[in-house]
Amino acid sequence: MDNLKIPVDLVAPIFSPAAYGNRDKIHEIFTTLRRDYPLSIAEVPGFDPHWIVTKYDDLREITRQDDKFLSSVRSKTLVSQAAEAFIRDFTGGTPNVFKTLVNMDEPEHTDYRNVTAQHFMPQSVATLEPLIRKIAKRYADKLASMAPACDFAWDLGFHYPLEVIMTIIGVPEEDHAMMLRLTQWVFNYTDPELGRPGADPSDLSEVAKTWMIAFLEFKDYYDRMVEDRLACPREDIATVLAHGKVNGCPMENVALISYFAIASTAGHDTTAASTSMAMWKLAEDPTLLERLQENPKLIPGFVEEAIRWATPIQIFVRSAAEDYVLRGRQIKKGDLLYLSYVSANRDEDIFDEPFAFKPERSPNRHVGFGYGGHICLGQHLGRMEMRIFWEEVIPRLKSVEMAGEGRMAQAETVSGPKHVPIRFEMT
Amino acid sequence: MADDGWRIWQCGICGDLYDEAAGMPDQGIPPGTRLEDLPDTWICPMCGSPKGVFIPYEG
Ligand code: HEM
Repeated sequence: MDNLKIPVDLVAPIFSPAAYGNRDKIHEIFTTLRRDYPLSIAEVPGFDPHWIVTKYDDLREITRQDDKFLSSVRSKTLVSQAAEAFIRDFTGGTPNVFKTLVNMDEPEHTDYRNVTAQHFMPQSVATLEPLIRKIAKRYADKLASMAPACDFAWDLGFHYPLEVIMTIIGVPEEDHAMMLRLTQWVFNYTDPELGRPGADPSDLSEVAKTWMIAFLEFKDYYDRMVEDRLACPREDIATVLAHGKVNGCPMENVALISYFAIASTAGHDTTAASTSMAMWKLAEDPTLLERLQENPKLIPGFVEEAIRWATPIQIFVRSAAEDYVLRGRQIKKGDLLYLSYVSANRDEDIFDEPFAFKPERSPNRHVGFGYGGHICLGQHLGRMEMRIFWEEVIPRLKSVEMAGEGRMAQAETVSGPKHVPIRFEMT
Repeated sequence: MADDGWRIWQCGICGDLYDEAAGMPDQGIPPGTRLEDLPDTWICPMCGSPKGVFIPYEG
């Protein structure tokens, strides 16, 4: 079949965290891939071969079949051969440093997901609205106090969702900054501003090294919190996790710490990325603020479109459990599939004018929260946090424009804007 | 329709609701269709999970 292999020069950047710092370039590559190599193989030196899944329908077909496309037997994040060997060495043979829901397969995955699932259903999340609105109002006031200029992502975007999730987990305020630092190390391990001091971006094993260090820090912190909640239960997610049982027994320690770790990282960085992206779009297009002020009912659509646009989770990797034919290609058992959520969310066959930012888009069935059995556990919380924030900010914002260049973090798995300098007026 | 026997089900994965009384006319499922009568190939419109993961809704 034609175009089975993608030229290395074309595809190599999508294996580089630094290249993801330039989203326009990444979109340019994926636009070419969707057209000429919608499902083809990349053989990039240092990495095992990967099928590059660029199309929305293919991504959904894969992610709704967790029994055929596994999450636990190979690294779920994109890693080099060197990093994978490093991780297996550290863990004693498993391919992931963390054992989060994301890295589990059935039936274990559902057993673990059910420990907290009820707490993240829409009806449970709705009860958190007063608490979140209080926090959002405080951040809206903080934003107003920074007028006429700030770096929205750095000064505010990173902090609001952090405070929300940490409050829900039960992490005291004095530890929030440390959690932000660990999150940034994990997701932005090669970014010069956000990565771990001493990290070496040119080392293909850096991801493994940073993740091991972060895992041990999370373990040190959360082992103590679990002990505390076992002794003194409270109304928080830490208590739910500490007392959580799987098949009648306490969770295994690596999985328990990883449960805390995913909530403490993905539980805010993704929402922060989408929130800062939303402000970036507002600052670029003055008609957007007008439309939202005239019709506040557009805010949920604005949030949804910001998530599609930001697609903070950019890649996950699955491995085939059996031979499978997709888009006429023969996938073999054991093959790796690089799922590009960034590409799927700009698929011309699904989204009308995919490169236009339209809060009015309806339906907007993007895959920003994933799809299938691993779909984001925190999707209702993430959406609600963003909606409430914008309900508090939009009516008070009189004008906003970019005051410099916006910049994305350099990271391939989870990434978003790290600088959104704005000039603005607010009441 | 005053049949109190209709139930509302919730997808245990993504939280989406299936209301038997309302059906899903846009998907060709008429009002008054029980979850058990949906074809086995039917999947959650939001997350693609099979109908077996739907549980009674306790809103
Ligand atoms: C805009 C915000 C968010 C985005 C874009 C996002 C994105 C995603 C995506 C794409 C996945 C799929 C992973 C996979 O396929 O393996 C996921 C899973 C997950 N997310 Fe989120 N997320 C967001 C907010 C949150 C929040 C607020 C939480 C809070 C707890 C959270 C917790 C999780 C967890 C625990 C999983 C693993 C679910 C599983 O594998 O069963 N996320 N998220």
